[in-house]
Amino acid sequence: MNTTQGTAAGSAGRPGTVRVVIVDDHAIFRSGLKADLDASIHVVGEAATVEQAIAVIAQQRPDVVLLDVHLPGGLGGGGREVIAGSAALLPDTRFLALSVSDAAEDVVAVIRAGARGYVTKTISGAEITDAVHRVAGGDAVFSPRLAGFVLDAFGTAPADIADDELDKLSARELEVMRLIARGYSYKEVAKELFISIKTVETHVSAVLRKLQLSSRHELTKWAAERRLL
Amino acid sequence: MTTLPARPPLARSSDRVIAGVCSGLAVHLGWPVKNVRLAMVLASFAGGAGLVFYAWLWIMVPTADEAARRNARRPASPIAPAVSQPGQVPAQAIMSDGGTSAGPAGSVPAGTAGTHGTGGTAGAPWFKVRGMRYGKEILLGSGLLLVAGIMIAQMLGVDVSLGTLIPAAAVLGGASIAWMQLDETRRAGLVDKTKADQAGGWGRLAAGLALVVAGVLVMVSGSGSWEQTWLALLASVAVLGGVVLVLLPWALKFWRDLEAERAGRIRETERAEIAAHLHDSVLQTLALIQRRAGNEHDVVRLARAQERELRGWLFQDPGRESGQLSDRIKAVAAEVEDLLGNAVEVVSVGDATMTEAHEALVQASREAMVNASRHGGGTVSVYLEASDGQAEVFIKDRGPGFDLGDVPADRLGVRESIIGRMKRHGGSAAILSTGNGTEVRLRLPAAAEHAEGKS
Repeated sequence: MNTTQGTAAGSAGRPGTVRVVIVDDHAIFRSGLKADLDASIHVVGEAATVEQAIAVIAQQRPDVVLLDVHLPGGLGGGGREVIAGSAALLPDTRFLALSVSDAAEDVVAVIRAGARGYVTKTISGAEITDAVHRVAGGDAVFSPRLAGFVLDAFGTAPADIADDELDKLSARELEVMRLIARGYSYKEVAKELFISIKTVETHVSAVLRKLQLSSRHELTKWAAERRLL
Repeated sequence: MTTLPARPPLARSSDRVIAGVCSGLAVHLGWPVKNVRLAMVLASFAGGAGLVFYAWLWIMVPTADEAARRNARRPASPIAPAVSQPGQVPAQAIMSDGGTSAGPAGSVPAGTAGTHGTGGTAGAPWFKVRGMRYGKEILLGSGLLLVAGIMIAQMLGVDVSLGTLIPAAAVLGGASIAWMQLDETRRAGLVDKTKADQAGGWGRLAAGLALVVAGVLVMVSGSGSWEQTWLALLASVAVLGGVVLVLLPWALKFWRDLEAERAGRIRETERAEIAAHLHDSVLQTLALIQRRAGNEHDVVRLARAQERELRGWLFQDPGRESGQLSDRIKAVAAEVEDLLGNAVEVVSVGDATMTEAHEALVQASREAMVNASRHGGGTVSVYLEASDGQAEVFIKDRGPGFDLGDVPADRLGVRESIIGRMKRHGGSAAILSTGNGTEVRLRLPAAAEHAEGKS
């Protein structure tokens, strides 16, 4: 999947297997997660602090980093700081945020830093394997809660043509977000809206891009109210 | 005294002969206007006292219109009935104690009313209540009376040495001003002293100091020449400067220690609170889980309940008002989780204030959650979207699904508690079931809420 990545230390990875680094300060959680992950996912490194994570990621150049939102070390920025510190690798190495936190500020902060998705730590091994593959393939992973945050932040009114396209979600994107918030899988969303899964993925990626890039007034205000900026 | 609370505020009436002073006074005192006017005229013959009094009131007392306008702007006017006083005193004391430190300027001698509970304040409580508002006026009045008394005594031939009295009065006045300041800062809490309205505080201190110094100077200078006085003044200033120079580092250190100790105490209190909370919740639950380790169902249920409680404690925004629709939905989701053991995940977007129709929506949602948890098994997803126009709740499970037509007519769960209830309150309910799960969609338009609210 990463044909451009020839310079990586170690093998570039056989097709179908994904090289993953797990970053979490709880050793118990790391080993539990490793045991839960599918055979198609190869854990090449682990880290417990911001500094360790940046070093391991730079050395291993994994396809996906499973990143806890809250981490000790560094300047106290946690997962956000790890992404910022690995910015040079960003197009090839993708980040999936993992958190027990329900706080919008934690979640949206790592997404805006560049993570491709967010899942809660309570999801099953099969689900997280699926999410890792999805992120490795360049898609975004939205949990119902993240979709809820997005709808909260962008508002539930669809964009007019005249609006800056980054500032609001289109009617279709809103529909997709609503269905995800209601607990639909991508497949179910596709079926419900009579579109292909690929189209659903396109919409979700577009929403992720807007969430990362939008500087719209309401989003800034929304973020400021939650002490995100 | 007893009629005071009912007394209308003093204001110049529009029913007037010259400036409305007499009729205004009459209304205020509850006397007939005629008597007041007669008294005023009679007093005018006593050395023009009535005229002076009339002129003074004309200047000082606002007309009824002005008074009304002023009261609208500033409800706690000094002329306002005293009946509102007792209620306000503790509120203000607590407020300034809590750190706002913006105590009203009129409440200088308020004392440490109750909040600090220091010994000396337990005395005459009525004075605090009354003195709070009128302290200045009473002080000024007694001062004037004293001056008048001295003047009368002098006229009657008693020898009063003004040369001693005036400086002594100045010293007394200056000292009392400075001490009033100390009292106020103590009331506001020592820590807020830095933040207290400094301009006023410094001004008062300077005024007090000037008065005292001038008084002392005049008293001292009476017994010696000016050169001597200047010399003495210079010497005392030098001594004072030296004392300040020596004591300043010590005072600063004392202040810093005080601050550090306070910060430490706050941290300690916070830590104790967190420890108490963890002990009451997490530790108890962990103990329970260990005892029930054999029963997976119980362990999951306990862990979920504890997780929910801890999340609520950690992530709840304290500034948000509670009792909203999303809170109610989350509360019933928690109930269902405890009841049946399956996780119920709630995602909410927007919020609404609860109405009667909303309560029906919550109850219908609860019924749907119970069904989804019982028959679907596994996690139940709940999505609430509330806007100005409507409130929608979606409850989804991943169970085997069912056909509404197959449900026996005597089973009231779905038909009555969900569909019927929503219809009665102007909303709608739809149930979509496939082999991969069931979704209940509840919708309540805002217009229906209002209609329901009136009936």
